[in-house]
Amino acid sequence: MADGRALKIPAPRGGVRLRGVTKTYGTGEAKLNALDGVDLDIEPGELVVVLGPSGSGKTTLLNMIGGIESPDGGELTVADTTLTGRAPRELVAFRRDRVGFVFQFFNLVPTLTARENVEAIVELTGRGHRAEVPRLLEQVGLADRMDHFPAQLSGGQQQRVSIARALATDPDLLLADEPTGALDVATGKTVLNLLQEANRQGRGVLMVTHNASIASIAHRVITMRDGRIQSMERNAEPADAAAVSW
Amino acid sequence: MHRILLTKTRRDLRRRLPQFAAIAVTVMVGVVLFISSYEAYQNLSASYDRTYARLRFADVTATGGNPRQVAAAARHTSGVSAVSSRTQGDLPLRIGGDKLLGRVVGLPAGAQPSVDRVAVTSGHYLDPGDPTGVLVESHAAKTFKLSPGNRLRAFDGSAWHTVTVRGVVDSAEYLWPARSRQDSLDDPHSFAVIFAPETTARSLAGPSAASQTLVRFTDDYRDSATTKRATAELRAAGAVDVTPRSEQASVATLKEDLTGFQQLGLTFPLLFLAAAAVAAYVLITRLVLSERKVIATFLAAGAPRRLVVQHYLSHGTVAGATGAVVGLVLGTLSTDAVTRAYTSALKVPDTVIEHRWPVAVIGLVFGLLVGLVGGIAPALAASREAPAEAMRGDGGTLEPPGPWSRTVARARRIPVVARLALRELTRSRRRTLATMTGTVLSLVLVLASVGMITSMRSLVNVQYGTVQQEDATITADTHASGLASSLRKVPGVARVEPVTTVPVTVSAHGHSYATSLTGYRQGTVMHGFRTPSGGTTSLPAQGVLAGKAIASRLGVRVGDMVTVNSPGGEGRQARLAGLLDEPIGTSVYATDTTARALTGAGADSYQLRFDHAVSEHARDDARATISNMVGVVAYTDAKALRSQFDKYLGLFWLFAGVMLVLGAILALTVIYVTMTVNVAERTGELATLRAAGVPLRRIAGILATENLTATLLAVPVGLVAGAAAAWEALDSFSSDMFHIQLTLGWGTLLSAVAAVLAASLLSQIPAIRMVRGLDIARVVRERAQ
Repeated sequence: MADGRALKIPAPRGGVRLRGVTKTYGTGEAKLNALDGVDLDIEPGELVVVLGPSGSGKTTLLNMIGGIESPDGGELTVADTTLTGRAPRELVAFRRDRVGFVFQFFNLVPTLTARENVEAIVELTGRGHRAEVPRLLEQVGLADRMDHFPAQLSGGQQQRVSIARALATDPDLLLADEPTGALDVATGKTVLNLLQEANRQGRGVLMVTHNASIASIAHRVITMRDGRIQSMERNAEPADAAAVSW
Repeated sequence: MHRILLTKTRRDLRRRLPQFAAIAVTVMVGVVLFISSYEAYQNLSASYDRTYARLRFADVTATGGNPRQVAAAARHTSGVSAVSSRTQGDLPLRIGGDKLLGRVVGLPAGAQPSVDRVAVTSGHYLDPGDPTGVLVESHAAKTFKLSPGNRLRAFDGSAWHTVTVRGVVDSAEYLWPARSRQDSLDDPHSFAVIFAPETTARSLAGPSAASQTLVRFTDDYRDSATTKRATAELRAAGAVDVTPRSEQASVATLKEDLTGFQQLGLTFPLLFLAAAAVAAYVLITRLVLSERKVIATFLAAGAPRRLVVQHYLSHGTVAGATGAVVGLVLGTLSTDAVTRAYTSALKVPDTVIEHRWPVAVIGLVFGLLVGLVGGIAPALAASREAPAEAMRGDGGTLEPPGPWSRTVARARRIPVVARLALRELTRSRRRTLATMTGTVLSLVLVLASVGMITSMRSLVNVQYGTVQQEDATITADTHASGLASSLRKVPGVARVEPVTTVPVTVSAHGHSYATSLTGYRQGTVMHGFRTPSGGTTSLPAQGVLAGKAIASRLGVRVGDMVTVNSPGGEGRQARLAGLLDEPIGTSVYATDTTARALTGAGADSYQLRFDHAVSEHARDDARATISNMVGVVAYTDAKALRSQFDKYLGLFWLFAGVMLVLGAILALTVIYVTMTVNVAERTGELATLRAAGVPLRRIAGILATENLTATLLAVPVGLVAGAAAAWEALDSFSSDMFHIQLTLGWGTLLSAVAAVLAASLLSQIPAIRMVRGLDIARVVRERAQ
């Protein structure tokens, strides 16, 4: 390095391991196997994109890994934490300490500014530091929009706030459900760039999307169908988010 | 309406059953209160009227003048159906060991009079061959446990005479046993009425005997015009005082009571129905907002707007109508019980129980109105949805921050959670206003009802602490000597003063008012003279002081001359030297010298005060000693009514407790609905917080802070509105008989606030359950689609 210091590479984290994970919704004729014996390993620090048509089970997979839903069967370990058979309270603690969520609809509190939306999570979970919040918002390119309310921000800016919010607790694993679904191409690319940047800091990133064009930024692309993993491909050279187009 | 929309309405109601049920229950409580209290009020009125008709109660009672001339004038007045004359006088009675003030009323022996009959409930009517046989009014009979065959003694001004009870009777004049408009709230042990053969009554009444002419109208003429005409005729014929039925002491007291019942029957239900309408408004608005896209789709497909309005109105009207129908049934059932309980407690001889279909219809209409009023705004808003705008999605629902949000955003030292709570207040003003309205309505209900009790208590405290400062009044045989010094020697007695009390009629400008004149020695310590401005005054050397109601009754001002007529005396002129503010009655006061000059009467009684340290037991001993003294003809315990009131206090506080609970229920309904709507509207946010690992208790804290802040903001408004409502309610009772000042102690205010805060906190429970039960995965999944 020019300044003579050694480059510090963050340790990869956020590994995931699923063995025979099942999840069923409904009963009788309405019974739906959302996950049907899924085996999957995600390496720490890996960026994985999950593709698949509606109802293929990709959101269920993401929710399961995030501790929002519990599997009906199988084994599930995320960031060295076994989630199978955990009590709801333990899952709350797991989500607080280990994962961050980014949703398609940003779910910001409309009465709080961008800064406050992020600070609220720090305050409410007791994780992270308020002093870090401005830096996080700078990282996502909102240095001059921190004190704006959601109504004063564009969709892309709101999504960037939600990414900052997800990063505020310094999670091992970032889970993004259609993060670009509500955005135009240019804004979507900015968001992808932020997720890629979060991954470069050593975090695992699992992204669920309909959009196959996004797959090129991943280390690995998983395609799901009818609750099963249909295919798994590794990108030898993940593309830069700026190069993606759809 | 279309079958499919009805099905949707049914399913909508089922999906939000607890909230719509809360609205229906509130409507039900309102309708039950309305039906049971308003019908009971009408039944009570009808019960009184039936007794009045059965006992041929006088429409007008004239006192004084030549009875023959007055009766002749009455008979010549058009619309008069019956006239009778009698003697009435106040006299001391001795019943068992009690010496008390009583009243003897003359009746024709052998046959009932044509006006003011009595209903014999035990024993038999007066016999011409039994001049010492008397009838006892039923309240006195119950108080003193008198029955036919018992004896009592009456003092005719010079000696005690024994009379025998032949029967117990109900009298229309004494359904409420009030001695006069000045003594409408007497201790039952201090007053008794006996009915005696006319000659016996005249003999026993002695110097207090007054001739009365009783006039009854035909049913067609029972109106104010006939009353006015008869009054004028009777006055012209020489009657000193003419009292229409509405001003008769018992009727007027019961009328005050009925007025209270009527108010209760209208005001309290309206509070509940208003709360239900607010809750319906919040809930249906939420429904419309959540169905914007569906509505837009319907409208885009060409559905008429009228249909949309009808559909959303149907939610409120179904909930309101359901509550109203259940309320109607329960209210109708409870009407019987309420009416019977009331007539039984007041010992009204006749009980009329009727169910009036207009009241039922009004109850049902109230219920429907709740739904219509609560649903009309959101239903119209739904019909005005712009399809394209509504289908655009959630992004369009964000509104720019207002000044309040921007101000709070700058308060960076406040924790974000607190800032969030503060800003949520303006996020949904509809919700915040609904919570505040619920709080205000609840406080109005509690303060208006509990305020009546605390004010009544204050009235008794003022009357028997500040105004009447004597502990007892001893009516004396005017022939007895040395009684004052004997009284002073009784252990425990601290002060004794002679007092003159004379029934008088005060008149001016063609108006008259029957009351009593009490003469005290100058500088008396037995009576406090409160002025309307809140200060105190002393007796004037000349002239009289009078209760302030007399000014409006006679059209006089301080400094004017009034005429004071005493029984058997000439009218004398006196200057009205000042007005007084006394809670009970409208009396006239003067120095003993002035009283003697005006009426010719000297001291006829003594008032005394005990040492402060004297125990209740010692007071009872003193009472027994004094009652047995020669020359003492009646002993009136001034504190007895206070004790009586204190005895009933437990019951009053029970009523207050019930009203507190009802107030809390009212607040709970509105706040519960707004809270659940709050959670429903913020599902996405709350699910996101839960997904981020925020513990449930922190979310509960946020919701509680928001909720309590809105509630607390409404508390000052509620307290002012509640106090105003209580004041208004009490003001309607103000007359020459009572003047009740609103007194709301800190305890009442704090209890009312505690009740609404408790309701606010209780409403957290279902809201927190909703958050706990939030299916984060489903919310996230649905939002992602």
